[in-house]
Amino acid sequence: MENADDLADRESDGLWSRVMTNPTPAARWAAVATVLLLLEFGAFAGGLLTILDAIVMGATALLDVVVGIFAPGLAQSIVDVQLAASTFIEGVRHAAESLPTLLSRDVIPNQGYQTQSGTWNGTFLGLSPAAAWALRLSLVLLYSLFAFYWLYKGWQLFRTHYRKADWTPRDDMVARLQNHSWGKFGIIVLVLFLTMSLFGSTMAPSTVDQNITSSYSHEIQYFSEESGQVETVTVGQANFNSKSKGAGDQNVGVMSYDQYDRFHPFGTLTNGRDLFTYMMGGAQITLMVAGIAIGLASLIAALLALVASYYTGVVDLSILTLADGVVSIPQLLLLILVSVVFQNHWLSSVLNGGLLLALIFGLTTWPFLWRSLRGPALQVAEEEWVDAAKSFGQRPTTTMRKHMLPYVLGYLLIYASMSVGGIIIGMASLSFLGNGLGITPPTPAWGRVISLGQPYVSTQSWHISLIPGVMIVILVTGANALGDGIRDAIDPESEGDSEEEAAAAGGGA
Amino acid sequence: MSKPSTSPSSATDQPNETLVEVEGLKKYYGEAGRFSGPPVKAVDGVTFNIEEGETLGLVGESGSGKTTLGRTLIQLETATEGRVSFSGQDITKLSGDELKQWRKNAQIVFQDPESSLNDRMTVGELVREPLDAHDWKSPAERREKVRSLLSAVGLQEDHYFRYPHQFSGGQRQRIGIARALALEPDFLVLDEPVSALDASVQAKILNLLEDLQEEFGLTYLFIAHDLSVVRHICDRVAVMYLGKIMEIGETEELYTDAQNPYTKSLLSAIPRPDPTSERTRITLPGTPPSPRDPPEGCQFSTRCPAKIRPEQFADLNDDTWDAIEQFREVVRERTRLDVGVRDRMKRQLGVFSKFDDIEAAATELFDDVEIPPDVEKPIQTAIEHVKDGYPGRARNHLKAEFGGVCDTQRPEMHPVSESGRLSYCHRHSDEYADVDTTLERRTDGH
Repeated sequence: MENADDLADRESDGLWSRVMTNPTPAARWAAVATVLLLLEFGAFAGGLLTILDAIVMGATALLDVVVGIFAPGLAQSIVDVQLAASTFIEGVRHAAESLPTLLSRDVIPNQGYQTQSGTWNGTFLGLSPAAAWALRLSLVLLYSLFAFYWLYKGWQLFRTHYRKADWTPRDDMVARLQNHSWGKFGIIVLVLFLTMSLFGSTMAPSTVDQNITSSYSHEIQYFSEESGQVETVTVGQANFNSKSKGAGDQNVGVMSYDQYDRFHPFGTLTNGRDLFTYMMGGAQITLMVAGIAIGLASLIAALLALVASYYTGVVDLSILTLADGVVSIPQLLLLILVSVVFQNHWLSSVLNGGLLLALIFGLTTWPFLWRSLRGPALQVAEEEWVDAAKSFGQRPTTTMRKHMLPYVLGYLLIYASMSVGGIIIGMASLSFLGNGLGITPPTPAWGRVISLGQPYVSTQSWHISLIPGVMIVILVTGANALGDGIRDAIDPESEGDSEEEAAAAGGGA
Repeated sequence: MSKPSTSPSSATDQPNETLVEVEGLKKYYGEAGRFSGPPVKAVDGVTFNIEEGETLGLVGESGSGKTTLGRTLIQLETATEGRVSFSGQDITKLSGDELKQWRKNAQIVFQDPESSLNDRMTVGELVREPLDAHDWKSPAERREKVRSLLSAVGLQEDHYFRYPHQFSGGQRQRIGIARALALEPDFLVLDEPVSALDASVQAKILNLLEDLQEEFGLTYLFIAHDLSVVRHICDRVAVMYLGKIMEIGETEELYTDAQNPYTKSLLSAIPRPDPTSERTRITLPGTPPSPRDPPEGCQFSTRCPAKIRPEQFADLNDDTWDAIEQFREVVRERTRLDVGVRDRMKRQLGVFSKFDDIEAAATELFDDVEIPPDVEKPIQTAIEHVKDGYPGRARNHLKAEFGGVCDTQRPEMHPVSESGRLSYCHRHSDEYADVDTTLERRTDGH
């Protein structure tokens, strides 16, 4: 048993001084974490700045729309500020992305050509492009899984060495999640897809810029059998000759080379672009839009659920009416409508149309989350500790945050991770429909590529539709698995499928 | 607890200042809507004082409104009518910042220590929260205060970083008490603070409460349904029934010499370890009426063993009178039942048959007793009304025929002892025979 002085120290000091009294474990952890961070600093900074850019855009857009109602002149100046901020962030992002990172395409290049003798030029250590790509891919995956593990390890260290409480109710939840294989599968799927969106350009055999968006301004070298020497061709031209069109020899299938010695792990598209590169680009925009949308929906849902259940009565009733009103609008129709109305608005150019989609999905998904949260929130609001807080004059906002939110947050995580599947599918559906809906071409979007490959499903070019479809299935399943895991971790007595979940999961278009 | 053993404090000689003054307090639920039914009258006009430093016990069966009264006193519920004065200030009118400031003076300890503590917060955070909410001094001083509170309620200081999950029921209740004491209140509402605990732990918590009262000079309102706990800890006791205080006065006096029929029947239900004890147990018939529809006269009139009979029935056989009272209770129950649209239509057409079983009930009640004709006629009329689907008419008819002063008039609070004990009963006025004589006569008759 410790004496009172120790206790007083432990209690009054911040985390920093607790670390200073026992620095070894923290220092060890921090050393590894620093190495990990430095290795990929450019990529992390780039990713963060992309998100920051989207947030700045979103926030100023909202401000712009609101101010625009009252003072159009002022709105214009907001747009100017927004433009300046965005340009600045863009600049910093490019600078950050140009920082050398260890696991980059420059360090382990996979694009080269094979001479007649069979040796490879331009690839990493003269390996074949397939081997070089596979090496780079596995290193990135290993890195990201390890980084994730290291974060978890950091929390464990904090728990054993630096946390004031020996035990918290959250520990039990984490322990239960650790024993939940289905939930762990969900976490791993999510980590993999997050890796794809953050390191996609490194994991792909080519980049979105080179292979897809500006293919005619990039050139590659290849060894021409006809002329017997190394020749140069634009990527666009090379793509043109590597199409997968199902019939005859017009197909570059899974795990194969095209005639320009480029390796295509998932084959090529109908226009000769690399499907794997396309999928990585799509992962980024998909996760970003789905993330923003579900974040927005969760925020609104949690806020309204807390307010509704704390004040009940008229407040509850009006939120209920609002939610029912929003639900009664057909989501897909609204999406199509808004996409058309905003077609030439600058908002539809942010994140290649992704921000607009995210806003619509967020603003139409929250009622489903809110409905699922309202029950638990009402239950917590009835607890005596809420009365207790009222009895000593605690502010309602603090009461909601401290005494109600922690109990609702778990449910929010469950329903959010289950609803995110609906949003991903909804986005894919829009891109599938095409005609100006969804993410603006040529930015990769999973749904569009499924639509592209649809006529070739029964031919040798089956990969075009199938692989993106399977990836969507895996991601949505993973999100649901994570939701299941969290639910079982929070409430070990809960039973399997409940109707509420189905309602929340069915929130997509 | 703080009771001087020689001269008990009392309302008449006023040795203490009055801390809380409650005047005609009413708390009704659900009367807002035009289409909603009658409101639930949880607290229906109570008046009493709490002296500084005393412990006032508040007892009553569940649903009598004692918890609501306690919660209204500390403004967890808004009073529908009446005044609650705290050191002379009417707190029912407070709002906003004034209310928040006042809340420091009055705190509550809840019944269930499982649900009154947020179990996602550490003990330290829980006890500190009231201090944080009021920006009490500096953070370091707050932590110091929490530690001293923890030891004051018999917890260890290193429990600061534990979670409520890690404690037993008794310890959790100690945490709840520490939290209630954090703002140094003058007045504590103890809402059945030990009823969720084991008997052995109950005693410890009660002793702790007594010690704390002495140490901090606290005034308690002790809500309980356990009469022996109340006798142990309270200076004065108020007995509640259906939102009304039936009797209020010095604890010992009230326990040894209860005046109100309801208090008498409650006390007679306490099991006695002495087998030779001669006291007869008074069993109350039926259940308390709904607080939505309390009796027009005395709240206790539907079950009272000492109910005043109208003059013309004074000589009626006791059994017959009991049967009549029970029949009235049966009819009263019928009025609580909702009549659906279909039955309303049937009623209009005169083919209503849902309540035909009233006849069987009446036969059973009146089978063994003699019924004089002046009793039989109104009973028959009532049965017809009920069978026609109008139990309300039957009820009014019976009340008109058999109702005495208890059915029609609310009693006054009558002083019933030297020390200023008050009792809510018509029998205390000189016109009627007093409670004891009536009850004795009846118990002899059995």
